[in-house]
Amino acid sequence: MDSDQPAPASHRRRFLIGLAVAALFAAAFGAFLLGVAREGARRDAEERRSVVQLLALTDLVDRAGGQPAAAEEPSYGLGEELPPVDVPAEGTVPDTGGGLGDELAALDAGADSAETPDPGAATRQAVAAFAAAHPEVKAIRVVLFDGLLLEASTALEDLDEKAGEKAAPRRLERDEKPLYDLGQQLRAAVEGNREGQEGEAREEEIAAERLSGGLLRLSAPMERGGAPVGMVQMDTLVETPETRGAGFPWLAALLAVLAPVGLFFLISLALGERRALLATLAAVLLLVSLSAFALWSTRTLAADRRAAAEATAAAVKAEGERSIAQLAELGLPSDPPPAPETWDADRYRQPRGLVQAGQAGATVDQDRLDHESHQDAGRVHRAVITLSLIALVLLLYVGLGWAARTGAALVEHRYAYTYTVPALAAMLLLVFLPFFYGVALSFTNANVYNTDKSIFETWVGLDNFVEIVRDIGVAEQTPDGISWNYQSFYWTLGFTIVWTAANVVIGVSVGLLLALALNTKDLAFRPIYRVLLILPWAVPTYITALVWKGMFHKQFGVMNQILQIFGFDPVSWYDHPFTSFLAVLTTNGWLSFSFMMVVSLGALQSIPADLYEAARVDGATRWQQFLSITLPSIRPALIPAIILSVIWTFNQFIVIFLVSAGEPGGSTEILITKAYRIAFEQYRYGYAAAYSVIIFLILLAYGTWQNRVTRATEAIGE
Amino acid sequence: MKRDGVSHWPLHLFLLVMVVVTIYPVLFVITIAFSGGQALSIVDLPPDPGIADRLRAITPWPETVSTENFRSLFADQPFSRWLLNSVIISAATTFMGVMLSSTAAYAFSRFRFPGRRAGLMMFLVSQMFPGTLMMIPLYIIIVKWLGLGSTYMSLVLMYSVTAIPFCVWMMKGYFDTIPKELEESALIDGASQATIFFRIVLPLARPAVAVTALFSFMTAWNEFIQAATFMDREDMYTAPVGLRFFVSGFSEQWGYFAAGAIIAAIPVVLLFLFLQKYLVSGLTAGAVKG
Repeated sequence: MDSDQPAPASHRRRFLIGLAVAALFAAAFGAFLLGVAREGARRDAEERRSVVQLLALTDLVDRAGGQPAAAEEPSYGLGEELPPVDVPAEGTVPDTGGGLGDELAALDAGADSAETPDPGAATRQAVAAFAAAHPEVKAIRVVLFDGLLLEASTALEDLDEKAGEKAAPRRLERDEKPLYDLGQQLRAAVEGNREGQEGEAREEEIAAERLSGGLLRLSAPMERGGAPVGMVQMDTLVETPETRGAGFPWLAALLAVLAPVGLFFLISLALGERRALLATLAAVLLLVSLSAFALWSTRTLAADRRAAAEATAAAVKAEGERSIAQLAELGLPSDPPPAPETWDADRYRQPRGLVQAGQAGATVDQDRLDHESHQDAGRVHRAVITLSLIALVLLLYVGLGWAARTGAALVEHRYAYTYTVPALAAMLLLVFLPFFYGVALSFTNANVYNTDKSIFETWVGLDNFVEIVRDIGVAEQTPDGISWNYQSFYWTLGFTIVWTAANVVIGVSVGLLLALALNTKDLAFRPIYRVLLILPWAVPTYITALVWKGMFHKQFGVMNQILQIFGFDPVSWYDHPFTSFLAVLTTNGWLSFSFMMVVSLGALQSIPADLYEAARVDGATRWQQFLSITLPSIRPALIPAIILSVIWTFNQFIVIFLVSAGEPGGSTEILITKAYRIAFEQYRYGYAAAYSVIIFLILLAYGTWQNRVTRATEAIGE
Repeated sequence: MKRDGVSHWPLHLFLLVMVVVTIYPVLFVITIAFSGGQALSIVDLPPDPGIADRLRAITPWPETVSTENFRSLFADQPFSRWLLNSVIISAATTFMGVMLSSTAAYAFSRFRFPGRRAGLMMFLVSQMFPGTLMMIPLYIIIVKWLGLGSTYMSLVLMYSVTAIPFCVWMMKGYFDTIPKELEESALIDGASQATIFFRIVLPLARPAVAVTALFSFMTAWNEFIQAATFMDREDMYTAPVGLRFFVSGFSEQWGYFAAGAIIAAIPVVLLFLFLQKYLVSGLTAGAVKG
């Protein structure tokens, strides 16, 4: 099995290097992915524990806010000055330098005057008690929409020197508008989700934000009587230097590289220079080591998940007990009793169901945990299979000597590659990558809000295409006759076809007639005519379009003046689909005949004159000469020009976009202007990409068909 | 005026009518530009206009000839800024386009290397991709990912790659006609590859370089859609986007538009009349091959 040519490098060495490269690549990439996954899981777990606390706090605040005292709550109008609030903290805090304990003392003082009709006192009390019980919670803010109130706050900046003015409760200040906006966003999400249909995309009801210094800021809506009236925000310290870093598995990765390479070295000593055997051995070792690494990764992830779930369960249990104690302490109603198991919720405030309430407090639901670990394993497997394939390709690429050959070719043709690489790289990056990305986008529901998500997260399969193709409600029978749905894909498609056909017919016939006229022998002023008639092609299209848009102006446009000279009524061009179509057709006819004229003229001039003389001798009429000499001779030039102008007109964006702008009601939209509007006015990128893919397919089908027809007719002609 | 028993007068009549149709919009723009006002109508019609009034209203000659629109366009409107943007973008595009396409075309013409055919095909295939399909991903990549919205860079990059395929094929055709012996003798004299390309081949290919440059320039100068999509800030508008700004929505500044349109169109119209025979042959050749 030795190679048929004497290779300078031995197969053994090549496969050893190939295996090392492949294993290094796979292990490094795999370890990186695992590190990212673990880091994500860790952050997830932190967030979950914090969400439990947040929802416990929200529960507490909700109960406190529902106190009878709140019934007398005066409503502060937005324009009014805030009434002087009887702030318990006033006077007690200023000299403290902002410690939480002092704030607590202040609030305790406030609790004594619980009879005052201050609605927020109970809330502040509850917040303070919660903060005291949770040292890792660094700041809590409670915002009320009614009166733009900061109802309670333990944030240090609200308790500083000027606490007399800054301490809660007070009105939100101008620079705290983001706080209010966030609350309104959550309120909108809650209300939207409540009204939304089953299965509709839900909005997140808990906002999370990472702050510097290891703080996690979570915000949840606060509800009273089932309606969101405010927001509870909590900053928790979740990361300390002690929490593990990236969790990058150095040892396992190193082992996954060294073990197969070492084994290969040892075994290959016995195998010698047998290529097939060496290749098999290297591949097997690579796959085994990758599988082992995958197995280990799955285990690690499962262990992480279990630990996280148990920690959450512990948190739920602790919060539940603490909550009951605090309710009793604060004298708040404990009916209905708090349901701590629902506090382990996702961002939509839907309980995850991983933690169950039982006799012994909260326990982890084993089945669900297994299910989630199983999903992890599936993800690991997919990643490892992909990695293995790439690694195998790498191994064979190096091992079979292709890498060496590529390197040699690169060196040998280095000039050629240096010259071509800039242009090719630019094309790949700005033409081919966008093209394939666009095709991929057509399978997603990407829109302006989720462009930072990966394609896989927004993947919807063929939904966009199905929606477009099933958009068949073009016409509807109403008592007043047929009403057309201009938004339908098929209306736009039909309009585009009519538009293209009409324009090409006009362009070709006018262009050909002019070319025939100009081709007349000894015609006076021919060069002048030619230059003047070529002008429309020379003028930038956007200028032409805007000028014609002006000339079709209902009140001041020249077209209506001309109509009125002939005794017609002025026409409101863009108010009816047909007149609007005439306007765009005229514009495009004006700018497109020159091209056809130039092409036809060039072809006509290349016909030898003796052909016509021979025909005249044979007694052919002019019409016969045209049919049997002129047309066949100019066809080779005319057909590509027609193909080009079909494609140009089909994609004639500027005329439609600038002249009629689709008026009235989108009826004169062609496919590509429609796609543009969907993308850049409705911001539905995925749907617009699907539209564009369909346009591409239509053009591709047209091109193929046209090619075949052209070839068939050529075959007949010959 | 007779030959072969056919009179030329009907032909002249037909051609004259077509010439009037062709140049009327052009004369109309010139009329509005020199009218000194912003109105779209050539004259103010009396309340009950007769035929003569209406005929006057479509005659492309302003009531009063004035260059006020041109003066005001530069003095009171940001048009000079838009024009400058267009000049910068077009010049940079021309430079990038010529550099990228002349080097690539030279390699495709002179060297035989693995991937040559694939590379050449790539340029042809790219011509089939529809503009809007590219636009959405380009928008996401350039504006959302790279944060290059409203920058010169975004348009220069896109315009250059738009122009590259045509330029590469055209320059390659020209390089093919330059005898290889010149370079071989230079090589024997000890010239480096770079010297040969920049000092011998490029100067010899000056006509092709000129056409490539002019084509790239016109591509960039006339482009409207991408400029309108990628340039959000008013001070970054190019001339086409700015001209549209004058007459879009509720803005009806037709005088400024007309004056600006003349300024923006004159260079390209002249270039076009000079270039058209290359463009026609290039376009149809590309269509046949593609």
